Amino acid sequence: MIWQGLIVGILFGVVLQRSRMCFNSAIRDIKFNKDNYLAKMAAVAILLETLGFHLVASLGWIKLNPLPFIPLAQIIGGFLFGMGMVLAGGCASGVTYRIGEGYITAILAGLSFGVTAAAVRGGVLNFVNSWFGSPITVTMQDPGIYNAVEGKVSPTIANVFGINPWIVAIIFAILLAVYIWGTKTTERQVSGLNWLTGGIALGVVGILGYLSQKTYALGITGGWVNLLKGTVAGVPYNWIGMEVLGIIIGAFISAVASKEFKLRVPKDPKTYLQVILGGILMGFGAGVAAGCNIGHILSGLPHLALSSILATIFFVLGNWFMYWYLYARK
Amino acid sequence: MDVKPNYTLDVRGEVCPVPDVETKRKLKTMQSGEILEVLIDYPLSKERIPQGVKEVGGEVLAIEEIGPSEWRILIKKL
Repeated sequence: MIWQGLIVGILFGVVLQRSRMCFNSAIRDIKFNKDNYLAKMAAVAILLETLGFHLVASLGWIKLNPLPFIPLAQIIGGFLFGMGMVLAGGCASGVTYRIGEGYITAILAGLSFGVTAAAVRGGVLNFVNSWFGSPITVTMQDPGIYNAVEGKVSPTIANVFGINPWIVAIIFAILLAVYIWGTKTTERQVSGLNWLTGGIALGVVGILGYLSQKTYALGITGGWVNLLKGTVAGVPYNWIGMEVLGIIIGAFISAVASKEFKLRVPKDPKTYLQVILGGILMGFGAGVAAGCNIGHILSGLPHLALSSILATIFFVLGNWFMYWYLYARK
Repeated sequence: MDVKPNYTLDVRGEVCPVPDVETKRKLKTMQSGEILEVLIDYPLSKERIPQGVKEVGGEVLAIEEIGPSEWRILIKKL
């Protein structure tokens, strides 16, 4: 139901704007600013989704659909995406919601991200996918809570080692809880949602997203691809395309209501080129790697999918490398 | 707040994390007791700067709203 995608997207946009959740900032801040505020917010959301996704799948309301495992794509695409988000001034969800806040740079980064991802997924750059090989799958006699295509499921920690997915989910949730409540949280005076309420809100929207879309939880890359193809090539709009449109609308409403909407225009012309280049790297990276920071980190880690774990590691390394190169180098 | 800043940094319109990075860079070059005024329109940086400047010996004296989503942050080098 595509109108549900729009509603979930609007909710997601409001939560992103009020919580200021940005994975580019979260990843950079823990290393370079010794600030774990946004990382904790993400951890709360991932904890809630890990338990929530496994619960709703166990109840039979959805099947878990871990993203395809293409190791080389997740390593190289992940690193390129990680570098791209530093140049673009935000992750895929960050640039999308900041369009609603009035950032001209976010519009440029979002469009170059979407166009490049669309080129990689079925467009003129489709051939690059063959460089990275075919997805590795696990054949399961009884897929249980997983979605199987001809008996094949994308690998997760649980199905690779043949253990009950709940055991892995609970261990992961405990590790996250130890990190969240066992370490000191950076202090911050916020005007919107704090790390805990923001994390809970993100997690709830993620679970709602899965229940609504059925095939997966939240995502950004596929949504931009659909939104652009739907607009210029007449492809039917789908749930996730409407979700991305909803994020922009939701963030706009929220920014106007909290008096934070403003057209923001950088003074240095180089910034425009930098964010476009960043968007291209992100679109290429997420296009081949089967997802961005939302598909792989927010929605993917709760599956304990090997694809998402590997992509997350390389998003982080690419981000740290580019931040160091641009801002921390002597 | 009625203080006369020694320096002004206008980072309105800049993308993340330029406002944070430029603020810290400027503070590192300043003398003890000097005051930096930062003009900013990026809400996340406004909330992150008070904690972030502590590691380079800065202290936020005041955050004033000067327009729609625009703030003036006064930072003292300790």
